[in-house]
Amino acid sequence: MTQPALKTKSPLTAHPWISTVIALLVAADIWFTLYVPLYASATPKVGDFPFFYFYLMIYMPVTGVVLWIVYLLQKKIRIADSPAAGRGTGTGTSEVTR
Amino acid sequence: MSHVNYTVFTIVLVLFLVVTLTGFAAARWRRADNMLHLNEWGLGGRGFGTFIGWFLIGGDLYTAYTFVAVPSAVFLAGAVSGFFAVSYTIMVFPIALIFMPRLWSVSRVHNYVTPADFIRGRYGSRSLALATALTGILALLPYIALQLVGIQAVLTVMGVGTTSTNTWVKDLPLIIAFLVLAIFTAVSGLRAPTLIAFIKDTLIYVMIIVAVLYIPTRLGGWGHIFAAGEAKMTSVNPKTNKPTGVFIPTSGNSQLAFATLSLGSACALFCYPHAITATLATKRRDVIKRNMALLPIYSIMLGFIALLGYMAIADKTTAANVKGPGKGNGQLAVPYLFQHMFPSWFTGIAFAAIVIGALVPAAIMSIAAANLFTRNIFKEFVKPDASPRLETRISQAASFVVKLGALLFAVELPKTFSINLQLLGGIWILQTFPALVIGLFTRWLDRYALLGGWLGGMIFGTIAAYRTSNPTTSHWAASTDLEFGHTMYIGLSALVLNIVISVVLTLILRAVRVPQGADETLPHQYTADPDEAPAPVPAGVGTEPAVGG
Repeated sequence: MTQPALKTKSPLTAHPWISTVIALLVAADIWFTLYVPLYASATPKVGDFPFFYFYLMIYMPVTGVVLWIVYLLQKKIRIADSPAAGRGTGTGTSEVTR
Repeated sequence: MSHVNYTVFTIVLVLFLVVTLTGFAAARWRRADNMLHLNEWGLGGRGFGTFIGWFLIGGDLYTAYTFVAVPSAVFLAGAVSGFFAVSYTIMVFPIALIFMPRLWSVSRVHNYVTPADFIRGRYGSRSLALATALTGILALLPYIALQLVGIQAVLTVMGVGTTSTNTWVKDLPLIIAFLVLAIFTAVSGLRAPTLIAFIKDTLIYVMIIVAVLYIPTRLGGWGHIFAAGEAKMTSVNPKTNKPTGVFIPTSGNSQLAFATLSLGSACALFCYPHAITATLATKRRDVIKRNMALLPIYSIMLGFIALLGYMAIADKTTAANVKGPGKGNGQLAVPYLFQHMFPSWFTGIAFAAIVIGALVPAAIMSIAAANLFTRNIFKEFVKPDASPRLETRISQAASFVVKLGALLFAVELPKTFSINLQLLGGIWILQTFPALVIGLFTRWLDRYALLGGWLGGMIFGTIAAYRTSNPTTSHWAASTDLEFGHTMYIGLSALVLNIVISVVLTLILRAVRVPQGADETLPHQYTADPDEAPAPVPAGVGTEPAVGG
């Protein structure tokens, strides 16, 4: 599992908070559809939709939004790292993000 | 041919011709200097951005499975067998987001075209790569066959087809459609389905928006549709003395089946070679990440398409039609529903959407299977010094052969429950998960151990799937079975077995110090994002990324 840090510190150690948030978002996104007892009921009905069907239908756009946030967070990490990483390329020196 | 509605027939035929012409014209789209290279024929130049990537990956993942098999399963058996697809397509994107960017990066750096290319580079094992390639080809056959079944369902409802009792003569229109597909795929490669995906998605979106807004008004609203679905699912089937299906999975066993089918299918999807092909055809690492967030837009549609199954139950004429001459042939549900609900001209558009919706993924799947054959069987074991030009020629021919294989599958296997075709492929492809996905993160598992795990999973999964039966079909009838008293997706049980074997064997092999193969990949390559298209690895390529446009 552990990737030896070749040039830069892994994002996990450089940005522990953002990385944790990303991991939690992805895990939650999977868990709340995987754990069926959570939503397997006919009530409360939303409009004419039994809750089970409503929940799964509404989950789709939610997934899209969650994953877009993940994308933005990862981009934020990368931008934070890029000036340092940019100077580091080619030289292969050990980098510490500043 | 007595019941053919000529308005419907003409519209479908015209749209089919448009698609055919587009398929051939695609050979000239974003043209490269040297088209005779697998990066061009097999991956469309590896230069697609977010927008085209969305159409390509969406056009690839949402297949006749989505448009025909899922609503048909909802029609026949409700939530666990059918609506799980919604949960599955929710889970697939966060799961894919975990590992697909890594696969993209390492494949870009090393110019890998297929998943088996990566396995070979990662583990230095030709046998493990061969196992992955063979599994990929095998798993794609029933999946392509499912596309054929989808086209066939539409043709049947249209009344096109001869009355001969010989299956091959009876399915002549299907075979013609497939030949056309095979020819333009061989000519244009991945560019053809990519360009056609634009037409496909437009038609599908128009179809589904109209269907969702219009059909409920004809059927007395959503409340009535759900009530009809619930009534059918809870009614007792006289043949089995059990409820017909599951409307809402409230029992522990049905929930477990629902969850394992979703999770198993979600883990399987991006192990499929065609999903990897579409992903590797993109230009930047970000394109994949963005698309994982954008593709769920497509899945919202899948939810509504699944509910077409309940609409078909609520519409008495459709339900009666499906039960009619085809004897409970569930995949006719959606075509019959459209035929009964829509005016002829719109039925024609909807039918064309389904047919084209099956052609696009079928083309990409056959390209993926052909690439596997060329790279990991032909080049590896037959002619190691094959030039890029020869590789491309072999792939073109192989894509043709693969489609013939799928045709055999479509004609030979029972089609009454078409969703099983996809789930059967899923059982097999999931057995490449440990080597491929776990391999993207750690190389701890030993190559021979992985091979052992793969073999165990394949044997167990195939036998278990073969032994499933129901009152009408004696073999290959279901995709779930009982494991220690719990109903689970066979693919997931087989995967668990596979991983257990792999871990145990790895420990044993480490203990006796069996040498490990060379790993040509480096840790930082899994997060790399090279600006320009690759092509440093196979010598003599010389393809500059053509005019960007």
